[in-house]
Amino acid sequence: MTKRIILCDDEIHILRAAEFKLKRAGYEVTIASDGQEAWERIKVQPPDILVTDCQMPRLDGLGLIRRVRENPATRHLPILMLTAKGYELPSEELARQWNVMGVIPKPFSPRELLQTVEKILGGARQGEPTASPVMAPAEPAALVGAVMPRAAGASECATEYATERGASRAATL
Amino acid sequence: MSALKGKPFVILAALALCAASAVAWSTGVLPGFGSWPLCLGALGAGVVLACGWACCCDRHSQGELLILQRYLHALDQLEPHHLLDSVNGPDLPPLPRGSPWRELAGRVKATFAKSAGRLEDLQQARTALEIRCQRATRQYERIKAILAGVSDPIIAIDHYDELLLANPAAEALFRFDASGAEKRAIAQLVRCQKLVDLLTTSGRRKSTASRSEEIEIADDNGRAQWYRVSAVKLPASGGGETQDASPASGAVAVLRDIGAQKALQKRNAEFVSSVSHEMKTPLAGIKAYVELLVDGDAEDEATREEFLNVISSQADRLQRLVENLLNLARIEAGVVQVNKQSRPLNEILEEAVHVVQPSAEAKEIKLTTDLSPLYLGVLADRDMLLQAAINLLSNAIKYTPQGGQVTLRSRLSDDQALFEVEDTGVGLSEEDCQHVFEKFYRVKKDEKMASGTGLGLPLAKHIVEDVHGGRLTLQSKLGVGSTFTVTLPKVGQMG
Repeated sequence: MTKRIILCDDEIHILRAAEFKLKRAGYEVTIASDGQEAWERIKVQPPDILVTDCQMPRLDGLGLIRRVRENPATRHLPILMLTAKGYELPSEELARQWNVMGVIPKPFSPRELLQTVEKILGGARQGEPTASPVMAPAEPAALVGAVMPRAAGASECATEYATERGASRAATL
Repeated sequence: MSALKGKPFVILAALALCAASAVAWSTGVLPGFGSWPLCLGALGAGVVLACGWACCCDRHSQGELLILQRYLHALDQLEPHHLLDSVNGPDLPPLPRGSPWRELAGRVKATFAKSAGRLEDLQQARTALEIRCQRATRQYERIKAILAGVSDPIIAIDHYDELLLANPAAEALFRFDASGAEKRAIAQLVRCQKLVDLLTTSGRRKSTASRSEEIEIADDNGRAQWYRVSAVKLPASGGGETQDASPASGAVAVLRDIGAQKALQKRNAEFVSSVSHEMKTPLAGIKAYVELLVDGDAEDEATREEFLNVISSQADRLQRLVENLLNLARIEAGVVQVNKQSRPLNEILEEAVHVVQPSAEAKEIKLTTDLSPLYLGVLADRDMLLQAAINLLSNAIKYTPQGGQVTLRSRLSDDQALFEVEDTGVGLSEEDCQHVFEKFYRVKKDEKMASGTGLGLPLAKHIVEDVHGGRLTLQSKLGVGSTFTVTLPKVGQMG
């Protein structure tokens, strides 16, 4: 069974770039250009993971996440946030409050997005090996994608994942 | 009193005369005195003499008493200053030289004169004090009026942390009446602990330098306003009051409303946030596609070309954004050289039409011009006004669907040069009309229709209003279309 991803962003080029990368890795990708549209798609068929932007018309990222968490069917749906406002939404707070598994700042790297998705979902198909070890799906709260906002002028982005065991992985671009 | 002295002597003399007559009569010494009627007559004469003398003396002393009475009465009637009038002398009846009352009267007059002198001195001192008091009162009233004219609230406390003074602005802010509130604890009157603390600690400090703090104070509607409060210790008042060795000496605080500053700070912060967001979006597109290319994800030529086109268009978008931003910033900062000359408005408008014509044709939009046959001269910087006109036309074209219509008109109106851009586009709601000239504001539902930086209209407005002294107004109906109107002073009259 192919893992399904729903991508939500009002910027068409971001959507297409992310969609392209994820589709090439074998995932089934559905795109939506605002929160409302994404929600409709989720209701029809919940995906395995939701990747969403923050600022969108009609229904923004946080609104969408709230709906997803309030719905019992999708309460545990893994969510990744993609946003240009990284420094205004502390990821720890997001993780705690809404169980968001990662915050990826824009400009983003499609490579990094793919790695993060693979970490959470594993391979595109059940049992398929991936480049990085799979995290146990039962510990979404422990996987805090504490991607720190880029400091002005910084050219590298360090991504850290903390697990209950205290081990941390850093992926640098 | 000499009359009294003389009286017994006279009586004695009269009696002696009577006795001598009696003896002469009885002894017959004096001839002619042998007859008793003569002696009786002599006796009688002696008695009459004696009585007459006594009466005279009496009358004399009574007369002196009268004179004295008159003198004292006159003294009593005199005004104090008459007594002191050394030139004319007091108008008093003279006392006779030999009068026994003379000395006493003199002493009484001297005492009166001394009292009169002292009274005069006291009155002069009182007048001087009254004048000083009036002057001080007038000065106090003047200072109170000055304080009342100061729109910044001012509050002063004494060394007991009680209200010393509050101007009307302070009364209004904290809602109390200063005239009734004097000597009340400041903590009870001012419901802002930070302000109270600032005042009380300022009063206790050794240093006389002023301290400043930003304090938020809620008005009676609960709305919080930011104030910059400067507090300084008052110099200790000399004299009795502070001799109880109290370490505090009072303080005065002046509050300045910095609401506008705070709002500006907030707007600037929001602006910075918007700008960074606006810039990150095209950058994100560029970065993402570059990475896809680098990773070799584009396996065929068509895909590669698609990616490269996106990178290019996003780079253009970023460039436009940066240019617009810089333009706006430079104009607002006054850095741009404004070169105004008298020009025909129609010439500039025609050129603007020429610039936007291709984009109108691409959407099959009918772009018509209806320019006034009159010469409309304006004092304008050609490039700037052209940019403003292009922005308006370009907006109209962007937000009018395929096959619509955009009309550019110019005319003379009330002695001003006017041009307007009317479209049959999507129109704007009332709320959007209010925000549409704000930087980066884009109507949410129309964002898909066209790419835009959200800076075109603010830039046009700035150019028309701030640089050229004109006005840019908007009329719009949702779903029907919009008309943007620009009025500019005609050459010869500057706003």
